[in-house]
Amino acid sequence: MTLNPILSLENVSISFTSQKQENEVIHGISYQLFSNEILGIVGESGSGKSISSLAIMGLLPKRVSKITNGRITFLDKELIGLSDKALQHIRGHDIAMIFQEPMSSLNPTMTCGKQVEEILLQHTNLTQQEAKEETLSLFSKVKLPKPNRVYTAYPHEISGGQKQRVMIAMAIACKPKILIADEPTTALDVTVQKDIIQLLKSLQEDTKMSVIFISHDLSLVSEIADRVLVMYKGNIVEQGDKTSIFKSPKHKYTKALIASKPSLRVRFKRLPTIKDVLNNTVNKAIISKEEREKKQASLYSKQPLLEVFNLEKTYFSKSGWFSKKEGFKAVNNVSFKVYEGETLGLVGESGCGKSTLSNAILLLDKATSGSITYNGQDITNLTPKEERKLRKDIQIIFQDPFASLNPRIPVGKAIMEPMEVHNIGTSYKDRKQRVIELLDRVGLTKSDFNKYPHEFSGGQRQRVGIARTIALQPKLIICDESVSALDISVQAQVLNLLNELKENYNFTYIFISHDLSVVKYMSNQLLVMNQGKIEDIGDADAIYNSPKTDYTKKLIDAIPKGL
Amino acid sequence: MSRESNSLTALALQKFKRNFWGVFSFLFIILIGLISVFAYVIAPDNSVSANQMHLSIHSKNPGFKVDMLTVPSIVSTNQNAFDKWFFGVKNLDEEIPISYHNIQNDTLFYKEYVSGGLEAEEKHIVFSDFETKPYVTQKHFVFGTDKYGRDMLSRILVGARISFFIGFVAVFISLVVGILLGSLAGYYGGKVDAVIMWLINVTWSIPTLLLVIAITLALGKGFWQVFIAVGLTMWVEVARVVRGQVMSAKNMQYITAAKALGYKDFRIIFKHILPNIMAPVIVISAANFAAAILIESGLSFLGIGAQPPMASWGAMIKDHYNYIILGKPYLALIPGLCIMSLVMAFMLIGNALRDALEVKT
Repeated sequence: MTLNPILSLENVSISFTSQKQENEVIHGISYQLFSNEILGIVGESGSGKSISSLAIMGLLPKRVSKITNGRITFLDKELIGLSDKALQHIRGHDIAMIFQEPMSSLNPTMTCGKQVEEILLQHTNLTQQEAKEETLSLFSKVKLPKPNRVYTAYPHEISGGQKQRVMIAMAIACKPKILIADEPTTALDVTVQKDIIQLLKSLQEDTKMSVIFISHDLSLVSEIADRVLVMYKGNIVEQGDKTSIFKSPKHKYTKALIASKPSLRVRFKRLPTIKDVLNNTVNKAIISKEEREKKQASLYSKQPLLEVFNLEKTYFSKSGWFSKKEGFKAVNNVSFKVYEGETLGLVGESGCGKSTLSNAILLLDKATSGSITYNGQDITNLTPKEERKLRKDIQIIFQDPFASLNPRIPVGKAIMEPMEVHNIGTSYKDRKQRVIELLDRVGLTKSDFNKYPHEFSGGQRQRVGIARTIALQPKLIICDESVSALDISVQAQVLNLLNELKENYNFTYIFISHDLSVVKYMSNQLLVMNQGKIEDIGDADAIYNSPKTDYTKKLIDAIPKGL
Repeated sequence: MSRESNSLTALALQKFKRNFWGVFSFLFIILIGLISVFAYVIAPDNSVSANQMHLSIHSKNPGFKVDMLTVPSIVSTNQNAFDKWFFGVKNLDEEIPISYHNIQNDTLFYKEYVSGGLEAEEKHIVFSDFETKPYVTQKHFVFGTDKYGRDMLSRILVGARISFFIGFVAVFISLVVGILLGSLAGYYGGKVDAVIMWLINVTWSIPTLLLVIAITLALGKGFWQVFIAVGLTMWVEVARVVRGQVMSAKNMQYITAAKALGYKDFRIIFKHILPNIMAPVIVISAANFAAAILIESGLSFLGIGAQPPMASWGAMIKDHYNYIILGKPYLALIPGLCIMSLVMAFMLIGNALRDALEVKT
């Protein structure tokens, strides 16, 4: 590490203007990036971590935002106020960027090879032939299998992880001095995430470039970064090398961030939230192994609430008029039992069939074969009327709390509507009273009754979603990635709420997530799915401690452990 | 409650209020609307269809003034005030433009107005048998007179009715049919969609003119037939937009949530999908309003729209378009400008709504 920083930000403030009101989102941040290091920036959504890096690239939206104060220097050159042309030269050539969504950052009408070539032709003096060779060598550098095939492939023909590799190839094509990676793995599966992280690390070692790695996941950052910078509400609350941040965090927010992530080693009764840490009221009670075993035994002595037997769901794609229909088994021969009062964790990577399975249980998308028995009754062949009756018992909490609420209905009405449909409560007044109780129950207030979904924050919206779900007094609730879209600190609050509700109302959960650490924290029984099949099923702790199959092992290994 | 003001509709309304042209057009349309409702109250010539002809003063310039002798009819009509206000006076009085008059005892001597410097011979009427007030008044034709000597201003005011009503009726018919079929096609998909799409494509391929002629043949000539015909061609666009919107809306998670909560299809379509897709429908309705007015004037111009003596802007242009080269272009220009400004107002309102509701078209 040399002492001269390659990039330095001094007291940078950024404001956004909306409706003629200036709103400062970054409050005078300063940091330095040295050559040949990986700097991790951690923060929750809205902390300004992406905006500050967009400012470096000069990519802030022109009319609504402006840098009000401060200096950004790159190799003794002031970047603020530079002309568009000069910035274009720096962008891609000296500072490159990788985005979160590889799916939307590649042009779908151009082959992957051509897109990388384009950058080389733009920024270097290579001939067409040389550019092609360079592209292929870049593809092998980012460890793409069969570079020649990827060269001629269109983006939809390769997988998400491969797309992100192409993006990385594009970013490092001109041998930039700085690579900004903005949540490069958030949209990817854990196992792919691990590969990409390793790739970025080895690339950095080879090329000696500096990397700014932005993520919301503290343990992920700890695996890759040398130095870590924690951002909160537009301020840098703490920066330092990673061991000191993890082992002895000084700022309360950093402490809270580390504590809110469900630990893989011990099982807290309640996850500490940011508020708990700030108020020093962390409840350190742990569910001991004996307690848990006793609980498990009592759970499994009862009759199963839901029994899934040899369930299959096949999707057909029509390829032509005369060719045969091709079938794809999204769920293949799945059988398991859910007992009353337990939480069944369901993990798997994207495309493994976990959502298809939940849709089949909810009867939203009926299974092709097999049976689902609820309370001893087969529910795969119900009349529409019986089906509606069953809906009251089996409910779902969705992943995206915003998308699952109708934007034109105030939340109070939205919670009341299912009660009206299923004849819960006797009158409008009675129902309103119940809604207010529910709002109170999930940590919202009476005054939220007439608010619209867009007036809430992400965590509050998820609470509304939960309130609407439990308004029906269901027995079985499927949580389909219910906390995946939330920030870690909010996630902890929602998980605590779910556990509380479970104790009070005796719910049974099927908890679906791609995040093994969350699932492990929540579940009694764990089910690992891969390519439509069950890989592993059994007690959550047992599976985590001694995985039976290679896939489960790989999945567990891929979880960023932190320090 | 004060909280109500945060609904998406209220937010859009606030945004709309900030758009000058949108509000201006809205006020303009309201004005035209009031004019068309109270046309007979405002119009100088309040006879049915503003059809009081005075052939001797045909096609006069705007601002033309003449003395008018009114000879009341002996036949009395029993029309109530409401009828007179909204459908015009069934006037049987005779109006004679005069250039000179003189009263001696119970006889009125007058000379009829003749243009071109000629003078008419003196006539007289004995008026002892009808109790009347002044028979002779000065009449002022603000927009001049048409080729039958009718008051242009009154014709324009009364004609606004047709343009306005065709807009309303056509948009109403197109909304009812379009939203119903579009949402069914979009929501259920599959065979229902195939059948409705087939119907849409067939309807779309029939030229509006041909359809109007066919409907006219079946139902007879008249402006109601035009209303229906225009409405029946216009639902296609609405249906297509609604279908597309429903198809994307039904994949939204709150619809899945509604299904999971056990709501019936009817409830999902009408309470959860339709309110969320109204924005593009409102925008397209504003455009349809404008299009309907244009189609009606086109049809009237061709003579298959409103039938004489009914006043319609399109028909007024038809009556007078050959005066354009005869040095009296205003006869066709005035109704033309009226059509233009009303259509323009609807277009501007459509634009403002599109911005306010953030519809991307």
